[in-house]
This record gives sequence, C-alpha cells and structure tokens, in this order.
Amino acid sequence: MALVGNIRDFGLSDFLYLVDRGYKTGCLHLDRPDDSASLYFEKGKLISATRRHDDALVTELLLRKGKLNEQQAQQAIMAQRNDGGANVTQVIIQLDLVARDELQRVLQQHTEEAVYGLFAWPEGEFRFEPGQRPDATAPIMPAPLAVEHLIMEGVRRIDEWGRIRDRIPSNDMVVKFVEQPGEKAKGINLAPEEWRVFARINGKDTLAEIAQKTAMSDFDVCRIVYGFLTAGLVDVIRRPVAMPVMAGRAAAEVPRVKKSLVSRIINRIRGM
Amino acid sequence: MQTVKMVISGAVNAGKTEFIKTISEIEVVSTERRATDDTKLIKKETTVAMDFGRIAIGDDLVLHLFGTPGQKRFDFMWEILSEGMLGLVILVDSTRPETFRETNRIIDFFISYRDTPYVVAANKQDKPNAWSPEELRLALRLPPQIKVLPCAANDRESVKNVLLGLLDVILQRSED
Repeated sequence: MALVGNIRDFGLSDFLYLVDRGYKTGCLHLDRPDDSASLYFEKGKLISATRRHDDALVTELLLRKGKLNEQQAQQAIMAQRNDGGANVTQVIIQLDLVARDELQRVLQQHTEEAVYGLFAWPEGEFRFEPGQRPDATAPIMPAPLAVEHLIMEGVRRIDEWGRIRDRIPSNDMVVKFVEQPGEKAKGINLAPEEWRVFARINGKDTLAEIAQKTAMSDFDVCRIVYGFLTAGLVDVIRRPVAMPVMAGRAAAEVPRVKKSLVSRIINRIRGM
Repeated sequence: MQTVKMVISGAVNAGKTEFIKTISEIEVVSTERRATDDTKLIKKETTVAMDFGRIAIGDDLVLHLFGTPGQKRFDFMWEILSEGMLGLVILVDSTRPETFRETNRIIDFFISYRDTPYVVAANKQDKPNAWSPEELRLALRLPPQIKVLPCAANDRESVKNVLLGLLDVILQRSED
C-alpha cells in the first residue's frame, strides 16, 4: 500500500530513515507545482533519482559528460535489449565501456545533485510506491547509496529551528550514542565542525554544555546533533533528575499493582 | 470499591472518543463542543475537555477510561489525568502523517518523567493508505520493546485487543 503525505509534516530526512530501517524497495515520488522528483530505493538504499527537469537516460547522461560516444551509447542500448535481465548501467560495465568506479562517481554525483535540493523544499506531496523500480535505461548507480550519507548532507542545509525543535525540544537534553553506531557510521563523512560535536558526545553533557565546550552556537550544535539523530547515530534524552518535576509539580508515581488485580481486568475484558 | 484508571491519548481526531465509546459499558460522558479553533478544519465537533468511560470488573473493582483532549491548549489536563494511571494507550491516525509530530510530543510528555506502561494503537487500519504498525514504529522512532498494535477504534474486538496488549505490559511489571 502506498504511503502518502506532505514533507511539510513528515520531512524528507524522516522518510529516508524509514526507508533505511524498513529495508524498503520502491519509489518515493515528490511533487510540487514547479518541480517533481522520483527516488528509487532497493532494500533501504538509494539506487537512482531523477527530477522533472533532468530525467535523462543513463546513456544521454554519459554522452553529456563525455564518458560515452554515440556509437557506444547505441551499443549499450542494443545489448541491454538483448539481455532482458540487466539494466543499461550493468551492460555498460559488462561491455567495459566505462570503468565501474568512474561510472559510480558520475552517477552518484548526478543522483546527489538531484536529491540534495529536495531537502530545501518546505513542502511537497510525497507518495511511496512499494516495489516500483526504475526503467532499465535510468541512471542507476552500480553501488547503492546509504541514506545516512544523504541525511547528513541534507541536514547541513537546514537553516531554521522549526524542524530541529520537533526532535530536540530543549538544549538541556543529553546526547548519547545509540548502542551500536559503528555500522551505521560507516556511510557518513563528517565535516570538521561535526567531528568537534561528535567528539564531545559522552552521554552526560547536554546540548547547551556541548555548545559551550565547542564554542559553537546552540543552533549549530542542535543542527549537527539533529543530523546524527536522524541518521540513527545518537539519541537525545532528558537528563535524569533526582526529584522529577513536571510543570512545577512533583511527578506522580506509577502505581505498583498486584498481578491478581491485572489478571482480573484481563479476564473481564476477554469476556466482553 | 476500588477504581483503576487507564488514559487514552493522541492527537486531534486520532479516534479517542470512538475508542472509549466502543468499549465502555456506560454511555460515554463526553464533553464535545463545537470546535472553535483550527481543529474545525478536521472535524466539526472535537473533544475540548475529556471523555470518560467505565468497565465494571467486579463488585469491588471498576476500570475507568479517560480520553485526553487533543488540542495543545488543554495540555494542563494531561498532567491531571495521568496521576495514578495504570497505563496509557497512545492512539495514532495511521492515515495522517501530519499528526505524527504531535503524537511524539504527547508520548514525550507522558513518559519523559515516569516509567508509564504504554502501547501505541495504529488506528484507522481499515482505511486506505493507512501506514502499517511497523511503518508507524519507524516514523515515530519507537523502541522495539514498545508494542504498536493495529486498531480500528469502531471495532470492539480491535479495541479489546489493544487494551489486552496494554494489560499484558502492565502484568509484566506488576508484583505478586
């Protein structure tokens, strides 16, 4: 079943997290009046992306970049037609028309350019169609792209508090690493100021304290931590307090109840 | 007579009133009034104070169900309602991702300072384009130990299943 909504309400980075953690395969269509985009995922990783104004075939793109000539482009298309299973990217590699690493570099750059601009959209309808795959002639990368990498780059473009405050309501929250960030961290390249914050995360210091220790602004620290959070590297938690207080009042204890009482309620509801 | 309390919370139009109506033995005491703010864009009448339902467990024990008002301006009621509660059901409208942020805010309010047993009910699973419970778990960033249960608040068996799911969590924490 399709997932629909608006990125004004459920941001692109949140959706990428869902795709990644849900190992989803399919296409995320984004639409607004003056533009549209289609992002194709396989098992949670991005394999191709196109924008309305730049939806060239992989051969057209490689021609434009000077990586193929007309004859090679035709050769790849004909070979792909004869080989029903492979996409054109795979055929280009099989025919050794472009080296795999070079092909990855060109197609990844094209894909990233298509995606990064989307993080700046304040709104736009989205629709995720499970199982939908790109055409065999689309610019499909040989190696799928981890979305954490995209999330971090997208978050670098955030310039307002609103979205950050949805996930980090206060600067007094403590940042801690998730239990096993190692694997997830592999796909991420951190900028120097992001490393400064990363190195200060200890499960004890608040965002405000990290800002103080790194001499960075609260906004920059929160934006960077928001990126780590969205990529699934860290959690932000409220600092434990000895005497919990809510809105100036002592928090009520959760009552300890007897198993026998709970069992009576269970039996009653089962019998309704 | 001993009374125990469960709280049903969630964003505006998540289905709290319907949930309580479906399972309560008494006519739900609901203080619905014509909406006066932006909630009227979503539904003509919405809960502005609270819903109250009741299930008699026996001669000496009764379960009260309280629905919280959805609008932010009634946040102060949440604190009052949550005092002494046995557990909490967070209802989510699975068809409206625009309410997920508010749902997270509500969860954060109820659990940040106390270890409240709770489950998330993925309501409106019978509607087209409903996000599945597992998709909601990812969207709301819920940890694996929190139950996300499918729900149709107008269906008694479905509501029973959610309450039983919560009671199971409470049972595991209860004492002999």
